[in-house]
Amino acid sequence: MRLKKGPPDFALFIITLILISLGLVMVFSSSAVTANVKYGDAYYFFKKQLLWALIGIIAMIVVMKLNYNKLKALAIPLMIFTIICLILVLTPLGSSAKGATRWLGLGPIAFTPSELAKLAIVLFLAKVMEINIDKMKYFTAGVLPYLLLLAVICGLIIPQPDLGTAFLISATVFFMLIAAGARISHLSILGLAGLSALVGLIIAAPYRLIRLVAFANPWKYPSDEGFQTIQSLYALGSGGLFGMGLGRSRQKFFYLPEQHTDFIFAIIGEELGFIGAFFVISLFLFFAWRGFQIAIKAPDTFGSLLATGITIMIVFQAAINIGVVSGSLPVTGITLPFISYGGSSLLFTMIGVGMLLNISRYSSNH
Amino acid sequence: MQTTKQTVKKRIATLFFLFCLLFFCLGGRIFWVQFVRGAELSEKALQNRMRDIPVESKRGIIYDRNGNELAISVSADSIYAIPAEVLVAKKITSNEIAHKLAEVLEMDEQKLHDRITRRSSFEWIKRQVEPEKTKILRELDLPGIGFTEESRRYYPKGTLASHVLGISGIDNTGLEGIDFYYNDLIGGTKGRIIIEHDGGGRPIPEATHKFIAPVDGANLILTIDETIQYIVEREIDKVFQERQAKSASAIVMDTKTGEILAITSRPTFDPNSYSDYPVKNRRNFAINDAYEPGSTMKIVTAAMALEEKVVTPNRKYFCPGYIKVGKEDIGCTDRKAHGSQTFIEIVENSCNVGFVETGLDVGITTFFKYINDFGFGKLTGIDLPGEAEGILVNQKNAKQIDLATMSMGQANAVTAIQLLTAVAAVANDGVLMQPHLVKKVIDNEGKIIKTMEPKAIKKVISPEVSSQLRLILEGVVSNGTGKNAYVEGYRIAGKTGTAQKVSPTGGYMSNEYVASFIGFAPADNPQIACIVVVDAPQGYPYYGGWVAAPVFKEIVKDSLRYLEIPLYEDNNSEEKVAVDNRVVVPDVVNLPLTEASSIINNRGLQARVSGTGDIVWQQTPKPHTKVARSSEVIINLSPLNPSQNDTEVTIPDLEGKSMKEVAKILADLGLHLMPEGHGLAYEQSPEAGKIVSVGSSIKVKFQPIGE
Repeated sequence: MRLKKGPPDFALFIITLILISLGLVMVFSSSAVTANVKYGDAYYFFKKQLLWALIGIIAMIVVMKLNYNKLKALAIPLMIFTIICLILVLTPLGSSAKGATRWLGLGPIAFTPSELAKLAIVLFLAKVMEINIDKMKYFTAGVLPYLLLLAVICGLIIPQPDLGTAFLISATVFFMLIAAGARISHLSILGLAGLSALVGLIIAAPYRLIRLVAFANPWKYPSDEGFQTIQSLYALGSGGLFGMGLGRSRQKFFYLPEQHTDFIFAIIGEELGFIGAFFVISLFLFFAWRGFQIAIKAPDTFGSLLATGITIMIVFQAAINIGVVSGSLPVTGITLPFISYGGSSLLFTMIGVGMLLNISRYSSNH
Repeated sequence: MQTTKQTVKKRIATLFFLFCLLFFCLGGRIFWVQFVRGAELSEKALQNRMRDIPVESKRGIIYDRNGNELAISVSADSIYAIPAEVLVAKKITSNEIAHKLAEVLEMDEQKLHDRITRRSSFEWIKRQVEPEKTKILRELDLPGIGFTEESRRYYPKGTLASHVLGISGIDNTGLEGIDFYYNDLIGGTKGRIIIEHDGGGRPIPEATHKFIAPVDGANLILTIDETIQYIVEREIDKVFQERQAKSASAIVMDTKTGEILAITSRPTFDPNSYSDYPVKNRRNFAINDAYEPGSTMKIVTAAMALEEKVVTPNRKYFCPGYIKVGKEDIGCTDRKAHGSQTFIEIVENSCNVGFVETGLDVGITTFFKYINDFGFGKLTGIDLPGEAEGILVNQKNAKQIDLATMSMGQANAVTAIQLLTAVAAVANDGVLMQPHLVKKVIDNEGKIIKTMEPKAIKKVISPEVSSQLRLILEGVVSNGTGKNAYVEGYRIAGKTGTAQKVSPTGGYMSNEYVASFIGFAPADNPQIACIVVVDAPQGYPYYGGWVAAPVFKEIVKDSLRYLEIPLYEDNNSEEKVAVDNRVVVPDVVNLPLTEASSIINNRGLQARVSGTGDIVWQQTPKPHTKVARSSEVIINLSPLNPSQNDTEVTIPDLEGKSMKEVAKILADLGLHLMPEGHGLAYEQSPEAGKIVSVGSSIKVKFQPIGE
């Protein structure tokens, strides 16, 4: 297939830069107080995030230049590598924080294999689905193999424990199956199965049930399970239309936990008000529009599915995060892409955006 | 292939549509949280971040009617801890803080440590601490330890009017008495200092500070007159101690307005240290307890009988010593026959037979109408907590025998305040006034917030009957059972009462009585009414005329003089004698020196002071004697500080006093007692008012007491 190379999607590029810049500002604003108390350096988190952002932008530009079709060759090895990493996390090599073992130490830097897993599975699925696109109508030949793979990945992520990421990966796989043309009836059954699996997981680990209940009525558990949700709602509610002003959050003063990671959106709502929150939501919707546009205009099915997967992975994660922060979903421990503090997450997200931008260069419009 | 690709594109478009929907929902949710619930959430968030330090309001001052302070508020520092600040303190550990606090405050170190590290935003360490200790702690400047000014109630007059004033708790709230009844008015509103803190308890930069200033309570001006209250307490103390009574109380009321000038009960307590006294000492028997009044209630029977024209003052009665009502037999005291009497005489003699006949003539329905009108069986509405209603015989079941016993003051239980209110109505041309204790409510600048106007409840009898009855009751004091209540120079009206106490097991106790006296003065133009109730006086005689009437006499005598109510003679004989250059010597005993001197000088006499002190103990010549204008009146001051140079003393009036009392009085003056007989003093030689030298002997004759 001969492809004409055009300029990358400028809008998507700009959206990404705006999101990253906003993220840097908000990471600094939300973490300065706690960083100062804990590490004696208000810039502690900001500096690390800035470094990762620079690395991320370089990675994004490098990937953007790289013909996405060459990634096909990388799909299977990357998948295998990911699975090995996920297994290693569960061995004593994995490092823990806050009751979960999600990190793998590589010298001075720790990386999160589950972040890699999100990208790896999207790439792998895009490649395999393109080849087997005609079998999608059949359940055993078309859908089941993906589910088995998903089961393996989730089986490795859930014990970390990281139910949030497992759910996110499952949802991404589910949406990619839709995109690839799987029968709606099959997917409905799949949906039901997924739902019952979720119920099963909750029954297996009661803390999940308490979290689930807590989100519905946080004031019933104000000091324990409902605490984060309440503090998050306090932050959002204090914001009003214009917010308390950049840097003037009150909830970041040791009230809202994870204020620079999982709950950074609440600080945005508090400092920048509904205007700021609405702006962020709009950016992600805009991002979705551009991402899906790239998917539709991609010259081949691989490109379409890869673009779809990456877009969903980023945007759906944002949706879940905002849902949690606004008290609409149970607390899952999922970050807001581009904005939340977290090196691996930012790097892999940027690599994903690089791929999207690369696909956009081969748009059928050109 | 092409169709598959088209499907993929369609599916992707569908996905985009789904995501639009999802983000629309999220946007809506955010909008709801930030706008619809925004105010509520931000308020809650602020509350969550605020640490409160209470600031007490100042309780209003309670004054007597002349502006003397009876209850005030003094400030004291209270110490609190903000545990979060204690825990994050860097230079000093919580153990050291606890140690230092324990040292200064003399408290248990371990308990203190538990308290200052408790998981709460605010903890009291110690309330109302001595200033020296807070000074030391302020200088130590311990982290997380703060001070706030609280006000504490102080009753400068100690036990004076304690039952009226009540008590206040550590939280600056009234718990009893006026302090409780008017707590909302005089308590004020607590203030707060609120500072925004971070999750670790440290103040936040640009934090919201709020100072909600406390609102000081309003001040009360009572109807109580401190001087009359003092007189009443002094006399009630005497009778309570001398007669070893279970309890005793007295009330003085302004008959025209219903204002309570004084009210007290014994046993008593000091509200500043109320926990040192038994709880029963805080009971205000005059308000909180009902008793069977006995003969004092006959005033009400007489009033209704005259008003209903069932009797005339000159109606004839014959008392054989007892009367049969149905199967029951009711007797006069010791079944002594009074023989032939008029209505006036049955009142003077307190003849049970006569009153039973009168009551039966009035009839059950009318009788109940009047006792209801006079306010029995219901609250008088006096502004004190815990007033008792009393217990009346049920009208539906009332029989003739009930009517008979009620007519002479048995069967119904009433409170002292009810009875006094009723008798004051008899004195006040038949208009029943609501008794009350608060005259005015003023703010700190002295501006009047509220004036409690006298409140007439009902006209219970006509002015004509009122004036008839006043004369009859004056006769009780001048000719009848109430002679011991007679005050020289004034027209006094009243009635004695000696009621057997109802036993808790039913029936009457043979050996316990309630001795009482109720009356008003002056009889022709009543100004004050007074009731004295002594519960279970020990010793004989236990009669109201012997136990309560003398107390009444002393209270009324001193009160009338204090109120400068003119002497009866002033209007008649005195002016005449003034013409022939002789004047009547005024009675200045028990008055403050300055007042006594000015009264004497105003009469055209000269005062000579002897001894030291503030209060006149004795005077020579005796009051009401006539002397030439410009004569000298010698005023002897307090016997407790007799002037050492004094070799001469004035002999006091010993009449009616017990031998023990006489012995003490004479010993205080440096005189010797030569007693004769036993009982109460009735004659002495030399007579009162004579001046003798210290060391002289005084002959005193005593005689046993009879009704």
